[in-house]
Amino acid sequence: MSQSPKRRAIAATLAIGVAAATALVTGLQSAQAAPAKGGTLYVITHQDQLDHADPQRIYTGRDIAFMESYVFRTLVMYKPVPGAAGTGLVPDLATNTGVATDNGKTWAFTLRPGTKYSDGSAIVCADVKYAISRTFATDVITGGPSYPMQYLDVPQDAKGNSTYAGPYKKTGQADYDKAVTCSPDNRTITFHLNVAKPDFNYAMSYPISSPVPAAKDTGDKMDLAPLSEGPYKVVSYKVKGEMDLVRNPNWSAATDMVRTNYPDKVILKFGVSEDVRDQIFLKDTQKTAINFDAMQLQNNISFWNSPASKTRGLNVFDPYTNYQAYNVSKGHLDCLDVRKALFFAYPYDAIIKLNGGSTLYGTPGDNVIKSNEGVDYAKTTSHINDKNFMSAGNPAYSKTLLATAKTSCPATYAKATSADQGITIDVSDTAAAKKVAAIVTPAMAAAGIVVKYNYIPSGSYYSTIQDITKQSDISGAGWGPDWANASTVIPPLFLKDGGFDLSQNWDDPAYPAFKALCDKANATLNRSAQAKLWQQAAEYAMAQYWVGEVAFTKQQLSWGSKVGGVDFWAPQGTFLFPSLYVKG
Amino acid sequence: MRRIVQSFEESKGMAMLKYVSRRIAISIIILVLISATVFIIFNYLPFDPARLSCGKHCTPEIIAGNRHRLGLDVNWWVQWWRFLEGIFAGRNYGEGAALIHCGAPAFGYSFTQHECVTTLLGQALPVTVSLAIGAFIMWLVLGVTLGVISARFRNTWIDRLSTVFVLVGTSLPTFISGLLLLLFIVLKFNLISPLDLGTWHSPLTDPWGWFSSYFWPWLSLALIYAATYTRFTRSNVIETSSEDFIRTARAKGVSERKVLWKHTLRPALAPILTIAGLDFAGLLGGAIITEQIFQLPGLGRLTLQAVLQDYDLPIIVATTTLAAAFVVIANLVVDLAYALLDPRIRIS
Repeated sequence: MSQSPKRRAIAATLAIGVAAATALVTGLQSAQAAPAKGGTLYVITHQDQLDHADPQRIYTGRDIAFMESYVFRTLVMYKPVPGAAGTGLVPDLATNTGVATDNGKTWAFTLRPGTKYSDGSAIVCADVKYAISRTFATDVITGGPSYPMQYLDVPQDAKGNSTYAGPYKKTGQADYDKAVTCSPDNRTITFHLNVAKPDFNYAMSYPISSPVPAAKDTGDKMDLAPLSEGPYKVVSYKVKGEMDLVRNPNWSAATDMVRTNYPDKVILKFGVSEDVRDQIFLKDTQKTAINFDAMQLQNNISFWNSPASKTRGLNVFDPYTNYQAYNVSKGHLDCLDVRKALFFAYPYDAIIKLNGGSTLYGTPGDNVIKSNEGVDYAKTTSHINDKNFMSAGNPAYSKTLLATAKTSCPATYAKATSADQGITIDVSDTAAAKKVAAIVTPAMAAAGIVVKYNYIPSGSYYSTIQDITKQSDISGAGWGPDWANASTVIPPLFLKDGGFDLSQNWDDPAYPAFKALCDKANATLNRSAQAKLWQQAAEYAMAQYWVGEVAFTKQQLSWGSKVGGVDFWAPQGTFLFPSLYVKG
Repeated sequence: MRRIVQSFEESKGMAMLKYVSRRIAISIIILVLISATVFIIFNYLPFDPARLSCGKHCTPEIIAGNRHRLGLDVNWWVQWWRFLEGIFAGRNYGEGAALIHCGAPAFGYSFTQHECVTTLLGQALPVTVSLAIGAFIMWLVLGVTLGVISARFRNTWIDRLSTVFVLVGTSLPTFISGLLLLLFIVLKFNLISPLDLGTWHSPLTDPWGWFSSYFWPWLSLALIYAATYTRFTRSNVIETSSEDFIRTARAKGVSERKVLWKHTLRPALAPILTIAGLDFAGLLGGAIITEQIFQLPGLGRLTLQAVLQDYDLPIIVATTTLAAAFVVIANLVVDLAYALLDPRIRIS
């Protein structure tokens, strides 16, 4: 489980309808004192830089939450409140959360008057239109969300690529200009979609809708010097150094219902070594700092075992699931019985204990849709809900499954049980992954399964396993929904063109029926009916064991004693930045 | 008589000139070959930087576009040639409004750090040079002094104490000693604010800030080297002390102090200075572990990030070539110095 580092290039936005019931919150002071203005808030991270700071390229939930709270503004935004209420959208640059017509195929947003960039110039519709056009320039604007390319009614070629090449090359500009239009007063932007998308406005909560005037576009360089419309502006950003934010004099709370500007300055400090970072929060040596990262395991355990420090921490279920993707393509795990045998032999207890126990790591999961996701989640009948499941592993049952596989799919059986072949598991090359391997290998051996590990350098892990020619039999991965709809979970993970289908299940005989179910769910505008369909699709995929072990993971936040207003922003999976302040 | 001397001086000058030219030419060839080697190695690694920076919705066409943007869509020798060209003529990346120009000498453009590599080197080099110079002075002073003292007081408790220092120093790797120093001394006693670690203070505008932020990294690095140099110095001084000319000096009644300072140390320290020069050059290439522990944004960390996180070829090639250049130049300087001292070398 821990060998599957969470996918960074996803935004962690999800609904948590039952968040209050599932979140284990320690030390959270929901009845906060009145926020104080002033001081410097330090945000400390081991990372050398943000993955991206360009609004059209940023795609990591934590980074989005930070930049959207302080620097960027978007058409709509998640309501900055803790708990389930935080999953709802509120207008931001727009006057409402979008007006859908034509059954969700056309969406319009009217800009609020009086909004400005940090240089004092006014924000207009053309800037939002231009900003979104940047996402089509895949040769420059890399790494960001691709919703505009997926949903806007811009023609595609035979291979499914947009005919519009973005604002730098301008190829196909007329097609884009038809799909996205601005009203004559330059205040209302209208999006014409290629498909009914009743939740399109959620996509506009991403910084892809953060405006960029064409004249100020610096291409790749914008990743180091983004424009600001939010309460703070970037005065300095140095890789391995820090990003310094000071108040934006042209921001007005009167035009922004979402953000605050409590601290005088916000400093995001990069490249702090993990040991130093952990000591800062263990010993409370930087009282006005928050930890942008998770602590190292042993330090995390120490932090939560100490009555003194744990009052400065928050322990919650995060938006992610960790899972083992079973590659079901031919020559890999193309046998349901073998896949099930692998799952039931898995030593969940030992792995969870290794990672800090259920208090800190999380619990076994039954679904790739997390149980705190609200209406789209329903308990499945397979995996941990199967009567043969044992959290310590059930090698005896695995052996019976293998015995069946010996006749139903002899080639895959031979692969799983032969020392010459064996099942190969892709893992990121870390010390923790090797510890997991030391537990899993004998557990599988007890069931008669031979496993081998393919250690991949962590920096190239996802790029390797996403290459279908390089992916092994099992790959550890993590996923969180992009927003409060399983349309951002089930299709990406299990449809061929979903973008992250590590199961390679498109040749599985069970796939056509599953795809039909997903297509039906995507086209269903009634949210309750759609949720039922997603529940069925999840049940179906899980019953096929296209993924194996799933964990509903937890996350711990820590901060210094002089930081106030700390809460968890569920859809973003991190601090509720707009409420943070420095205590006087 | 005059003509003969002049001719001898001329031939001596010509020989030296030829020697210097030959050594410089060889050095340039070595650097060119090293840069080519990095391109070859990178080309055969099982990584695909184009896919790495592709994002979530990654189609083969987007990967191909990325590969083109990164300049990886051509053979390694074309990439390498473009790299060499860029050093003299500068390079452009992208097109239209997204065009990026890196002026000569251009070592490439980092699409992960969004900066011309020459600029990144310019930012990292002062950090590494600061670290290397301070550590170099510290280890030489400490190592040579201890070495001389322990040689002078051979087989006494002072010598034994110095042996303990040598053993501890050489057996403690930097990643242990540096971390211990940082966590249990520097941070525990608030000698540096953890948030100030890695902050650059210019020695010109803030000499005290510069000194105080580099003192502990210097010490961490110097302890290891000083231990080795103590041993070198001790054995060299002892060896030289047993030479005939030292015995002659003593027989002439020269004082022990004069024997040590005037007759023993000069020959004993010459090879140590040679090794020190090469070690210093090696450090200029980046003290990766020390820079990482103390969060110093020098060449070592720049390289580490490029290799481990981003597979950022332009940075890898530039830092590798630069590190090699430091070593090659140091070798050149040492060889030239030896050639000046010993005519047999330049003639051969």
